[in-house]
Amino acid sequence: MLIDATILFQIAGIGIITALIHTVLKQVGKEDIAQFVSLVGFIIVLVIVIHHLSDLFQQIKSVFLLQGL
Amino acid sequence: MDIIQIVLIGIIASLLYIILKDVQPTFAFVIILITSVLILMLVVKQIGIIIQLLTSLADKATINSFYLETILKIIGIAYITELGANVTKDAGLASVASKVELAGKIFILLLAIPIISAVVEVIINFIPTSGNHFL
Amino acid sequence: MWKKYYFEYGEKTMKWIGAILLVSTTSWIGFDMSKKLTERPKQIRLLIQSLQMLETEMGYSQLTLQQTFQNISKKVPYPLDQFYERLAHKLSGIVIDFLTIWDEELSKFVQTSALKQTEHEVMKQFGRNLGQHTFLQQQKYIKLTIHHLQRELDDAMEERRKYEKMMKSLGVLIGLLIVLLLF
Repeated sequence: MLIDATILFQIAGIGIITALIHTVLKQVGKEDIAQFVSLVGFIIVLVIVIHHLSDLFQQIKSVFLLQGL
Repeated sequence: MDIIQIVLIGIIASLLYIILKDVQPTFAFVIILITSVLILMLVVKQIGIIIQLLTSLADKATINSFYLETILKIIGIAYITELGANVTKDAGLASVASKVELAGKIFILLLAIPIISAVVEVIINFIPTSGNHFL
Repeated sequence: MWKKYYFEYGEKTMKWIGAILLVSTTSWIGFDMSKKLTERPKQIRLLIQSLQMLETEMGYSQLTLQQTFQNISKKVPYPLDQFYERLAHKLSGIVIDFLTIWDEELSKFVQTSALKQTEHEVMKQFGRNLGQHTFLQQQKYIKLTIHHLQRELDDAMEERRKYEKMMKSLGVLIGLLIVLLLF
């Protein structure tokens, strides 16, 4: 049972890089595109997180015999 | 040693949170969320082992498995509710967190209804119904 | 036994090689775009210079267009010299229509250079008037074209100042982002 912290680093990396892209685009005055990039990054991360969250809930359900609920 | 892994994940997550908090607060929140998911994922598997032990014990003691199932369901609901409530609280929505907790309590009560009614029935059986005999 | 080890080792290495390739590709694209931005003002300036040369050659030596182009091609640096060279070469044969030769060579030149559609249009327009008028009128047209190109030059400088650095960093960053997403 080896859950490593790769996903943590992955999400943090995506966050930092989207922040950098955001600042770069903002500096040259493309605020709208910067906003869009941030939004897209957030949605991608959210998809990853929701995937894992559903995994967790599935496991809790199977462990606690909650199939009927 | 899973405990070392869990502690390390916690520490790494807090470091990443500190880094990300200033640049992108939303991503920092996501980090918290994924950390709780990871740690709970690690813990849930261990809980599964404990529950297997409990069920085998209950089988040996010939306890109605329905009761054990209900209790396990209640524990599960409690864990899920707490996770949700904590996450919403971290996001700064304390009022929503309290509502989530309320919902958890109500569902626990709902699950407990058969047990409570069974207990009440047992108690009623103890009380002699034709009381006028003694009068 | 060794095969299994080889597979595990290979998988991880391939992942890293892929990541490095991806990052270097997107960085290269970014650098290329930024290089194009740097090249554009330089090439517009060269174009203006060559037009000025054309003007003086026309005014003082009174040579044919073909010889003039030949002369200019010896004095300007890389992408532009080939343009004039080819023009001179084509004009040395039997010329049916100067305009088609000009347009053809011009679009060839624009494709290899960092120039944009606007400069292409300006130069195309210039070709329409080349060799059609008296010297004085011709001079006016050259002046007008230089004026147009000057404005394009200002535009290009502004664009370069704005986006040169952005393109570089954006290339690297987007590569890193894609690698992280696929990791």
